[in-house]
Amino acid sequence: MASLEEMQKELEKIELQEIQLLEEMKHFVNQRSYVDAKIKVLSKVLPTLKTLKVETQDLVNTIHTIAESAENISDKVRTLDCARNRVDECQQRVGDLIDVGLCSEGVQAAILNEDYEKGAGHVHRFLSMDQSLLTQAATDIENVSSVLKAVGTLQDAASQLRTIVQHKFDEAVRVEDLSSIERFFKIFPLLDMHDEGIKRFCNYLCDKLRDTADKNLQTALNASVSDKRHHVKFADTLTLLFEGLARIVDIHQPLVETYYGPGRLMSVVSFLQKECDTQVKLIIIEFNKHRQLQKKINQISEIAKLSSSSSFSKIDKLDPKELDILIQEITIMHFRMELYIKFIRRKVLADIEISVLITEERNTQILSLDNLINSSDLSRRKHELLSLYLQLEQYFMEESVSKAVGIDSTDTSQQTSSMVDDTFFIIRKCIRRAISSGSLDGICAVINIACGVLENDFCGILRGRLKQGYPSGYLDLTQAYNVLQTSIQHGRLQPSDTEQIRTAFIIALNNADASTDYVETLCDSVLSDVKKAIPNMNTNEHGKLESCLSGLSSVISNLRDVIEYGMQQLRVSVIKPRISPWVDSFLNINHHLTDDELSEYEAGESFVQTLIMNLDSLLSSFKESLTSSNYDGLIKILIGEVTARLEKVIFKSTFNRVN
Amino acid sequence: MCTMEDFKFLFKVVLVGNAGVGKTCLVRRFTQGLFPPGQGATIGVDFMIKTVEVDNDKVKLQIWDTAGQERFRSITQSYYRSAHALILVYDISCQPTFDCLPDWLREIEEYASSKVLRILVGNKIDREDREIPTFVGEDFAARHNMYFLETSAKEAENVEKLFMKIAEDLMQVQAKNKDLPRYESSTTNISGRTSSVSDSSCCSKLT
Repeated sequence: MASLEEMQKELEKIELQEIQLLEEMKHFVNQRSYVDAKIKVLSKVLPTLKTLKVETQDLVNTIHTIAESAENISDKVRTLDCARNRVDECQQRVGDLIDVGLCSEGVQAAILNEDYEKGAGHVHRFLSMDQSLLTQAATDIENVSSVLKAVGTLQDAASQLRTIVQHKFDEAVRVEDLSSIERFFKIFPLLDMHDEGIKRFCNYLCDKLRDTADKNLQTALNASVSDKRHHVKFADTLTLLFEGLARIVDIHQPLVETYYGPGRLMSVVSFLQKECDTQVKLIIIEFNKHRQLQKKINQISEIAKLSSSSSFSKIDKLDPKELDILIQEITIMHFRMELYIKFIRRKVLADIEISVLITEERNTQILSLDNLINSSDLSRRKHELLSLYLQLEQYFMEESVSKAVGIDSTDTSQQTSSMVDDTFFIIRKCIRRAISSGSLDGICAVINIACGVLENDFCGILRGRLKQGYPSGYLDLTQAYNVLQTSIQHGRLQPSDTEQIRTAFIIALNNADASTDYVETLCDSVLSDVKKAIPNMNTNEHGKLESCLSGLSSVISNLRDVIEYGMQQLRVSVIKPRISPWVDSFLNINHHLTDDELSEYEAGESFVQTLIMNLDSLLSSFKESLTSSNYDGLIKILIGEVTARLEKVIFKSTFNRVN
Repeated sequence: MCTMEDFKFLFKVVLVGNAGVGKTCLVRRFTQGLFPPGQGATIGVDFMIKTVEVDNDKVKLQIWDTAGQERFRSITQSYYRSAHALILVYDISCQPTFDCLPDWLREIEEYASSKVLRILVGNKIDREDREIPTFVGEDFAARHNMYFLETSAKEAENVEKLFMKIAEDLMQVQAKNKDLPRYESSTTNISGRTSSVSDSSCCSKLT
């Protein structure tokens, strides 16, 4: 049966296939006419295709021929081009030869007529020709002797002109004939004497510079003490010198550039630099002599030695106030030097930029410029001046701060004493002064010095005062404080020793707190000031500055340590002994109350109230005298103490169910 | 600027020693892997940074390369105080640079923190014309309680080792002792106030 079913299924399949096949066949039959039509069309097209092929072949052949002829033509054009170049060259040579003749005739006449510009012009034309070609050309043509003769004449004339121009230039310098000097200065490059011309001209400029500088220095030396600018007269002289130099560079740069071409400024500057170095040296020597710098430096190092080896400090100390003006002058001098060096560098760099196009060449030029500047006596003196400045500034800062601490006084209306304001005024002043010197290294060094002074001296003093402790003589602090308060109010600040120590303690604590704020502001203001003074710092310089400034933040953490130390002192000597009895009184209360007793107790609850009252009075005694953040710190410690103590006491007590 | 970088410690390393002993070359070799010939004299102080890794901790070394010439002394001295490590360099082929070492030590004594890590380095061991034998340097270092190493910036010998040793030593000291000159790493602390006050692990912990 199964097979029958299968067979039926098979049959169905076959039937289906049959239908499909039929349909396909029908489809083919339908298509037939369409296919027939197509075949007909194609058979018609066939002959056309054949002709097409032939024609294409023709086309290819034609293109081939064209390409060949094009190649032929371009070959010919090339030859023509070459020929034309040769003709050009030839023409130039002929032109040269003719010019040689003309020049040799003209040059003699020009020399005779003292028309050196024209003569030099002829020589210049001659020199611009290719000398070897010229002689070669001369041997090639028939008229050998005349050309050779002309060349000879020109060569003679050139050397003749050279001597004449040099001579005339020197003479013009001697009689200070400005227009002649300029006239011959312009002729030098025509005779291929660029270096010679620049050298002679710079020598002349240097002579002029020397004269003015001498005069300026003499005037400065003769200036009377009463003169308004007596205290900065050397800085003024230096300024005049640099201004003179800058003017020379500014005026003569276009002249040199026009007649000698760009790229000559470096040699001009190197000639001028020598004279500049000499003059700076003279000024500095006089400066050292008149301001007795060496003596002062010796004195400072002497003092440093003595104070570190023994406490014998009453030797004749240099008053920092006296140094103030001197330091000011040094910073001005240093700033002028810095400014001049920057000016020269900028000028020469710009000149290199336009004259040298190859990067490598340019870099070597820039390197030699830096070398010129860095190895100059001016730079060396600048560094020495900075070193001098730093030694004086350090002394000034240290001495002034210790003075400020020495004359420390308290104003009753202030929570801090005068030494904080004074110290930060001094440090700010010193750093500002360093900024005005224009040297980043100087600024960084002064910041470092300031960090040292603040961290070692200033923090040390505050810590020392806190070490004295906060004596808790009175049992009732409120009472003690009231005594202190009234005595302060009445302006007779002669309380007993303990009170004095207390005030000192509180004020030291406040000073430390106020100082953290001061350091923060100092840091911000210095950063923005330096950015203004030295606008184009690179990232490295920036990093340097920031790193030095971050030294100030270590001062802050040092100050916070001091505050913390003081707070712990307060905790031990004030809070702990006072709180203990207050909280301990909790032990004396009956903790086994009946219900009745409890309600009675609640009505007249005394422990908590007393505690609150006591704490209140304790705090209020400090509230006025402490700065707000110190007061907050105190409250924090107080809360901690009370909680700890209370916990202890509660654990000690026993309670009944009601409690 | 190097404010919010991820590092665990920041140390200030200052190089000192006579002019021309190769301080700048040592620093360049370490920070940039270069040996620039014909180096001009350093002016004032130069400043470089390199972060190294010690025991999986990032350590930032702030290296101050000072000028050896006398006239920059007052600038360079101001950097001693906050230094964590001082590298005193001499040239093994130049006796005078070795003879000056006591002067340098006196200066360090006067200006640097007493806890500063001090390292003696004899540089230029690539040179044939040695004047100071190794044991002489070793002896000097031992007498003054310094760590000693001979290096060649030119051949990159012991340079990496020198700075890594410093980083490792400083980290150990840091772990043991929190009294080294404190140094907050960045200015963010200054303007951002807060932070770093009660940071018990001292030194700059910016995590």
